[in-house]
Amino acid sequence: MTIGLDEVLHVAKLAELAVRENELRRLVDQMNRIVDYVATLDEVPADRMAEPFLAGPESVALREDVETAVPLAHPPASVAPEFVGGFFLVPRHGAMEDQ
Amino acid sequence: MTASTAGQRGSRAGMVAAETGKKLANAGGLNAVLHWSQGLLDAEGARVDRMAAPGPLAAVPVVLKDNIVTVEQPTTCASRILEGYVSPYNATVVERLRAAGAIIAAKTNLDEFAMGSSTEHSAFGRVQHPLDPSRVPGGSSGGSAALVAAGVVPAALGSETGGSVRQPASFCGVVGVKPSYGRVSRYGLVAFGSSLDCVSSFGRTVDDAARVLSVISGPDPLDATTVDRPAMKLPPALPDLRGLTFGLPREYFPTDLDEGVTSALRRTADRIRELGGEIRDVSLPNSAYAVPTYYIIAPAEAAANLARYDGVRYGQREVGPEGDIRALYRSTRGEGFGDEVRRRILVGTYVLSAGYYDAYYRKAQRVRALIADDFRRVFGSGIDLLLTPTTPTTAFKAGEKTEDPVAMYLADVFVCPMSLAGLPALSLPVGRSEGLPVGAQLVAPYFEEERMLAAARVLEHSLDALAEVR
Repeated sequence: MTIGLDEVLHVAKLAELAVRENELRRLVDQMNRIVDYVATLDEVPADRMAEPFLAGPESVALREDVETAVPLAHPPASVAPEFVGGFFLVPRHGAMEDQ
Repeated sequence: MTASTAGQRGSRAGMVAAETGKKLANAGGLNAVLHWSQGLLDAEGARVDRMAAPGPLAAVPVVLKDNIVTVEQPTTCASRILEGYVSPYNATVVERLRAAGAIIAAKTNLDEFAMGSSTEHSAFGRVQHPLDPSRVPGGSSGGSAALVAAGVVPAALGSETGGSVRQPASFCGVVGVKPSYGRVSRYGLVAFGSSLDCVSSFGRTVDDAARVLSVISGPDPLDATTVDRPAMKLPPALPDLRGLTFGLPREYFPTDLDEGVTSALRRTADRIRELGGEIRDVSLPNSAYAVPTYYIIAPAEAAANLARYDGVRYGQREVGPEGDIRALYRSTRGEGFGDEVRRRILVGTYVLSAGYYDAYYRKAQRVRALIADDFRRVFGSGIDLLLTPTTPTTAFKAGEKTEDPVAMYLADVFVCPMSLAGLPALSLPVGRSEGLPVGAQLVAPYFEEERMLAAARVLEHSLDALAEVR
């Protein structure tokens, strides 16, 4: 597999990454080196199969699909000047203009 | 960190903070620290001295890799794109360390966004190896490893995606422990490869690293990937290794393995036998494909995770010549990320792009499953722990691999497979080759950290890690 200059520019555009003109040639060479290397996975016989991998124990990926309450990192009361009964207290409408 | 440290009161933490400040100042030449101040250290010491109930890490100074967010110090990930960024919250691991009485001493240098194996890819300069300034400390958690090795702190936090704690631990001659995936909360760890990332610990001794891990482990409602199991217990004190069977995977002992590494591992295996452990040859045939698999999956996940750094929400912003929002994204990311991060974003985007997804990403996922299956099979055949070298060589020279990314990637050849499989593993110093530390790696089945650490402690007490083995 050879990656050309146009392909690197296209991928850079997809990745929202500006690439400087003077580094393009080096980048193309290094991309080819990496992609050629990872293509060594082609050596693994296609019929060699295993159960799909789940990162960590199955309980991580296969926990029950139910919604659970997740506490906020910063409860509203800790960041609001006044928080009562689940409501943010704000100045009465027009009160700011009165002052 | 010793038993005598824990539990002392009065101004003990204040004195430790003052002493740690002096050590950090003296270690400045390593370039291992990105953020610290004596003022913050003193405040940490005072906070710990005021604690009513000293915890298991009372007055123990700990440094954090600078991809773990903290309120009181910036978090840059050693990247220009996050220069000056201060998190509005602490990572869960930071809160747990503080609650246990630890003194958060400094934030440490790393390869930018934890991408690298030498800590040369930092926007703030490379970290020097504490024993030989011309060499690298390994990476990406090289700053944390170097500070523990230099005796500045007894323990540190790093992060692992593909070996970034075990590899520098091996190079620097300290203990580095990667827990099972899901054992430690990642809330507040800046994301790199989400199916791989683990907060991990360094220690001067097995006990130091284990104590830190026991404090930070356990479920966290703020991280859905943590497993609902109690925190890790401190490992039991074993008199010897009787009853334990160690597997030596033949693929991890190639004929061209560095002579010093080979000698150190042979000596370790001999000592295991002397201590009553059984050694068996095993095979993990698909581990040979771990590095190419990793360098598809990790960049793919990184390309997605790092999409958030766009100049709008975080850190540095560059307005492009075209003056529109896309130009802002591209200029910010083009200027803000360093060479290695940009390379990985490009590779990750490439392997996920239409036309290449099946050829690369889908195939890598299939091989990842094969690699994990090998471990499952071996551990299911009566093997309690695996013994391998941590790295194929000792610490290499700075600049030796920076021009060839694949040569750099191969420095992680023995640590990548466990990351892909999500298994716990550690690196233990087991000797020196031409004056440089050599690490042996122990690998355990999921959630068998206590067994792995207990065996490592027996070996630690019976092997002279400073002995020349070549």
